Amino acid sequence: MKNIVIGQFVPGSGFFYKLDPRTKIMAIIVLMVSLFLLKTMTQLLVALAIAVILLLIGKLSIVRIVKGLKPIFVLLIFTFFFQIFFNKTGALWLDQTMSLNWLSAGAIVLATVLWRVLARWKVGGILPFLIYLGLLYVSLSYLSYGSTWTSFQFQIYEKGVEMSVFVVIRLLIIITLSTVLTLTTKPTDLTMGMEKLLRPLKFIGINSEEFALIISISLRYIPTILDEANKIMLAQASRGADFSQGKLKEKVKQVISLLVPMFIIAFKRSEELADAMESRNFVPGKPRSRIYDLVFGMNDIVAFVISAGLLAAAITIQVI
Amino acid sequence: MGIHFRQVSHQYFSQQNSDYQAIYDITLSIEDQHEFICLIGHTGSGKSTLAQHMNALVFPTKGTVEIAGVLVSQKRDKKTDYNRLRKHVGLVFQFPEYQLFEETVEKDIMFGPLNFKVSPEVAKEKALESIRLVGLNESYLNRNPFNLSGGEKKRVSIAGILAMDPEILVLDEPTSGLDPQGKRQLMRLFKDIQEKTNKTVVIITHDMDLVYEYATRTLVLSDGNLVFDGTPDDLFRREELATWSLSLPQTIRVLKGLKEQFHLELNPYQKTVEEAVREIEKVTSR
Repeated sequence: MKNIVIGQFVPGSGFFYKLDPRTKIMAIIVLMVSLFLLKTMTQLLVALAIAVILLLIGKLSIVRIVKGLKPIFVLLIFTFFFQIFFNKTGALWLDQTMSLNWLSAGAIVLATVLWRVLARWKVGGILPFLIYLGLLYVSLSYLSYGSTWTSFQFQIYEKGVEMSVFVVIRLLIIITLSTVLTLTTKPTDLTMGMEKLLRPLKFIGINSEEFALIISISLRYIPTILDEANKIMLAQASRGADFSQGKLKEKVKQVISLLVPMFIIAFKRSEELADAMESRNFVPGKPRSRIYDLVFGMNDIVAFVISAGLLAAAITIQVI
Repeated sequence: MGIHFRQVSHQYFSQQNSDYQAIYDITLSIEDQHEFICLIGHTGSGKSTLAQHMNALVFPTKGTVEIAGVLVSQKRDKKTDYNRLRKHVGLVFQFPEYQLFEETVEKDIMFGPLNFKVSPEVAKEKALESIRLVGLNESYLNRNPFNLSGGEKKRVSIAGILAMDPEILVLDEPTSGLDPQGKRQLMRLFKDIQEKTNKTVVIITHDMDLVYEYATRTLVLSDGNLVFDGTPDDLFRREELATWSLSLPQTIRVLKGLKEQFHLELNPYQKTVEEAVREIEKVTSR
């Protein structure tokens, strides 16, 4: 849980830290719209280059962002294979008859065991997974012994490969952009920016201030509640509720022993917070002043011009 | 047997702030029997972290802890039955809210013993026995733990650990948030348990009066270092007390004041108020 970089603010200095949160939110929306206008691989690669340049300008460590991609790695792989298997347009690149029989099934089981063992020992990062895929392919296509249970055609089309790479790169850029936003903006600034941007919605009866308050309180209490959960876990572990051992029935009981105190403490905390806010004269719905107000600066104008320029470029490319 | 710390350090890791070292290079031994230890030190000195090492709730980042003959080191060992260590050393947390969760006090106290594979009948007996030990009567067993007062919750949480029948009892600030009378009652209770069963009791506290009156041994932590390990009598004669953010107990302070003010020939090192009064009477009647 400690390595999640998405949605986490990391203090620092650099171009993006100086920008107004409103600018950042708007710019990212504009950039994402332009990204979805792009149609060919070359255009996308240019966009990727621009994203990398943005990271360099902001003095953000690329390693850090790549590390943050880890949790969604599974999603990327899934998207990749989904596109490869189900996009059946363009020229046929590969057509392989695959069959499932005693021998290939056995080989698959062996390969799975090998993959898990290698993964357990943490050998070579992603390498075991690739080896596993290779073994799967070989055993499904070339091994056959005894009666065949089922067989199917494994086909890869030109467009499928192209689209899968395309979609994955696009996803990568989107995640990088949003990570830049959350990495360089304090949660409080982010909600304040949202609040200001959503202010026009007041005409249709949505109060953006309350909305922003709810978000900022929840964000504020996530670490507190995690910390509390950890303490409760230790307290129950010291009464023999070892969360990593035991049968299912015991596990259920152990989870209850964690959840009940957590809910009770959370409710108590919320009541205390409400009292504390009221005693400092907080009245919901009443206008409030701020100590720090958001001000647009030179940097914001630069960022606006650049992102608007990129959008214009994307539109022009599509029209021409 | 007992608990043996060998050069134990513990460091908390955090993404945003810099890593934080809670205890440094601590070596100490706690026996299974006869000891009444008070663990003292300013807030943030690492007391709770040290206590959580005593039943392997947290693992040392350096060094080893030996609990009941089992060696606990940096990594979780799959062969070790950590639950056995937690039964051997019972740890009561500071806030009862972190552990109470059942509908009745009885069920909550039985939670620990049942986790250690004690039969329900025996666990029930243990619950009755331990609720009496902490000074509540059996009518409490059927009450909802969340409707109790703060002091009663505290007692129930202690009963929950006592019912596990640990060899060593470790309590993290058991007297915080209680009225003076309640504090004394609880301390007397711990002393009673220690005298009757000969089990070692380790208590984290900020109350120097209680330390002086009850402890047979004191451990002082300052900024994560173990700076003192000895009897309270020795401790309160030390010059460094203020640098460790500790103060003298009331009795010593009053008697020392009297001694200086009126140049009386009295021994200020008296453990209880009664003894202090007797000492004053002895000097003034002369």
